[in-house]
Amino acid sequence: MNKLLALAATAFLVVGCGTPATYKDSNGRDLVVSLEKVDIQDFATAGSTMLQSMVNAPAFQKAGAAPVLQVGNVLNDTASNFDTSLLLTKITSPLVNAGRVRLLESDPAAVAARKATPGAAVPVAEFVLKGKILEDRSNAGRTRQASFVFQLTLVEVKSSLAVWQDEKIVTKQGSKNSVGF
Amino acid sequence: MKKFLPLLALGLLAGCTSLVSTGDRLERGLTPPDAVNYVTTKADGTFETQINDHRIAGKLALLAARKSKTPAGFAQAQFELRNDSLLGRTINVSFEWLAADGRVTETQPNWIVTPLEPGAITLVNATALKAESAECRLRLLSR
Repeated sequence: MNKLLALAATAFLVVGCGTPATYKDSNGRDLVVSLEKVDIQDFATAGSTMLQSMVNAPAFQKAGAAPVLQVGNVLNDTASNFDTSLLLTKITSPLVNAGRVRLLESDPAAVAARKATPGAAVPVAEFVLKGKILEDRSNAGRTRQASFVFQLTLVEVKSSLAVWQDEKIVTKQGSKNSVGF
Repeated sequence: MKKFLPLLALGLLAGCTSLVSTGDRLERGLTPPDAVNYVTTKADGTFETQINDHRIAGKLALLAARKSKTPAGFAQAQFELRNDSLLGRTINVSFEWLAADGRVTETQPNWIVTPLEPGAITLVNATALKAESAECRLRLLSR
């Protein structure tokens, strides 16, 4: 009898408590908020905020109609593994699609193609975008806090000077992950 | 039998997080949904507000909606908001740009979470990337 009851209780817990997976708006407010990693909405927040900051930089505004931009290294110095293009695409895509920059491809195929066409007018990068993503953690009792720091720098190639720099910090606090903001 | 009842109750209270989300869904079902509110700049320099969530009316003040141009000729908008309630409040903002004929030309779809202390003022700045973008529509969602 006891064994039967234990089995029934376990089955109830396993079957009755699950939440079925559903599709969510990737830009909506019902997304999972994690304390241990950078969430997809954190990249969106940092990317869109820094994009607005960058287009207001005097050096960027003074640049020609569509300067050539090259994406440099963005170092992921956090404990979690992710592709930094999750951040960079939020910045480069709107700029490229609006015709505000021309993005210089730097993958091996693009480099080989440029070398294979001697004498062709090869675009040269006027700006390089580089950065770093860091994290800082602290806790007080059961409350955990995670801050993810997004740092980006725009370097003007001809002068090697940083003409724009910004930092966006996303801080999350709680005792466990949750859904929604 | 009696030995398993506390165990079952403990399992439900401590381990079953879906109970919490069920409670949250029930609460949301009983209260009006959080609605998106809009502030749109107009060609004559004024702005238009559309409040769909009346719980934030009187608690969040729009002090100004300014519009200008960058040196390169792109439209810029700045919205100044103040938390007029006695409690801290989180406002979520996003925006989109409209052409002169009303078409949506650019959008920043993700919400920027903006916690506001009582009386605090925050600025939302938006710069258009396309020359055809003329008016800015700010989207506000309170939580």
